[in-house]
Amino acid sequence: MRFRDYIRDRFGAILITLVSWFILMLFFRAFRVRMYISSAATCVLFIAGMIRLLWDYFRRKSFYDSIKNSCDGLDKKYLLHEMIEQPDFAEGRIVYDALCEANKSMCENVAEHRRSSEDFREYIELWVHEIKLPVASLLLMSHNDGESGNKYSEQLKRIDDYIENVLYYARSENAEKDYIIKEVSLKRIFGNIAVKNREELLQRNVNISTEGLDRTVMTDAKWLEYILGQLLGNSMKYIAEGREPEIHISAEEKDGRTVLHFRDNGIGIPASDLPYIFEKSYTGENGRTRSRSTGMGLYIVKSLCERLGHTVSADSVQDEYTDIMISFGKNEYITMQE
Amino acid sequence: MSKIFIVEDDTAIRSELAELLKNAGYETDTTEDFSATAEAVLNSAPDLVLLDINIPHANGQQVLRDIRSKSSVPVIMVTSHTSEIDEVLSMSCGADDYVTKPYNPTILLLRISAVLKRSAAKPENNTYNGLELNTAKGILGNGEKEVSLTKNELLIFQQLLDRKGEIVTRDDLMTVLWDNEEYINDNALTVNISRLRAKLADIGCDNAIETRKKQGYVLV
Repeated sequence: MRFRDYIRDRFGAILITLVSWFILMLFFRAFRVRMYISSAATCVLFIAGMIRLLWDYFRRKSFYDSIKNSCDGLDKKYLLHEMIEQPDFAEGRIVYDALCEANKSMCENVAEHRRSSEDFREYIELWVHEIKLPVASLLLMSHNDGESGNKYSEQLKRIDDYIENVLYYARSENAEKDYIIKEVSLKRIFGNIAVKNREELLQRNVNISTEGLDRTVMTDAKWLEYILGQLLGNSMKYIAEGREPEIHISAEEKDGRTVLHFRDNGIGIPASDLPYIFEKSYTGENGRTRSRSTGMGLYIVKSLCERLGHTVSADSVQDEYTDIMISFGKNEYITMQE
Repeated sequence: MSKIFIVEDDTAIRSELAELLKNAGYETDTTEDFSATAEAVLNSAPDLVLLDINIPHANGQQVLRDIRSKSSVPVIMVTSHTSEIDEVLSMSCGADDYVTKPYNPTILLLRISAVLKRSAAKPENNTYNGLELNTAKGILGNGEKEVSLTKNELLIFQQLLDRKGEIVTRDDLMTVLWDNEEYINDNALTVNISRLRAKLADIGCDNAIETRKKQGYVLV
């Protein structure tokens, strides 16, 4: 708070003081009061006024400056009231109390929303486990029906994939830690995914090759399985016409990290879309022209990767290939123990 | 015939599962009273237990602990919970395998036969017409004549041998191969089978593998 601003604020009060001093002087003159008395009165009034202004100014200045500085310095501005001291003047106390009240009510509000989103996520988890039971029995029924049941199995697999999307979206958006990081074999994870999608892969005549998957990484097996499942689904969705579809999965050590490459020779991603593919609801050219896309798949992949502490990036040349890379950090704790 | 005990509270799944297992040549047993699941399992003395985690009264992991305290019967945990925490917990309670719903029935059967094989006390019969199959070396022979098999041929032959005289579908063979990280396509499977046939013929087993149109293959 600058002194000039403070004075401008008090302009009315100062004007009134000056006017009353002027009237006082007129009275003094009318009653022929001696000159030195009126000078003394002027001095007293002036000094008292100055002291009052300065004293008041510095008292306020320290309070408002601490508000302003704390506000500028905080990244979580709602913690402001924790940073300032309760002031010793009435107006300041009103502001201070109002701040505390507002903050308290906001905290309650946030807590309520957090609770309700947590409840919602819990319900989604529960619902997913429930819906999987009829899907499981339908799958068994269609298998027991023999040949004629196959077409149902395909649709059931689609249903199951959509259910998984909801589950992992809910998981990726939630702050709760419901994963276990442990040593996981890349070979095993990819094997599970490949077996699960075997019918579709064979139908589309996709050639699969793997390289260097006999490595282990620190991750949550179920989450990684879902992530690779999404990537595989994308590769099958965007197959290029006129050449044999190929998917090459490889892992390599690079700068102390394990990098998993998921590369296909599909239609690729236009260079203008490439920087945005991991953004929420971004569909891009392929999503609009090839098949309906929700723009959620890669977004969920990215948020799951971030939660697990992996980084994910993409490299692609349109009409040639797409290479999605997931980079896993090494667990120093484990290496230290060895 | 191996007996499999199904612990599952969803009636639809339970009956379909029983049918699946019967079709695959297993005997099944089950319970509808979940207040004393572990006792029911132990009384039935099965060769393998399919145990659901979400059952009334006690949870599956508790039941598993009760079973483990008295018996070492192989147990496969089955659940619709896709969380690593459940899997880790189940394995630490002594489960032999863990399968999530909805499972691919072929894979479930594969896992069951794998677990049963592992737990079988007697050494399995790995001979065919006097020829011994050495899985570790990948060699089939009787000392005089022998051929070496590739990994794919070995997996196919092993599967046919395990179910000698039965029809093994192409789908079954594919599942076995893919489950062993051999991601081959339809043509490659046909090629592998004909190579295997040629190798068997080399050591005097002509026409060992018969083709059943639209069904699969039989090792005779």
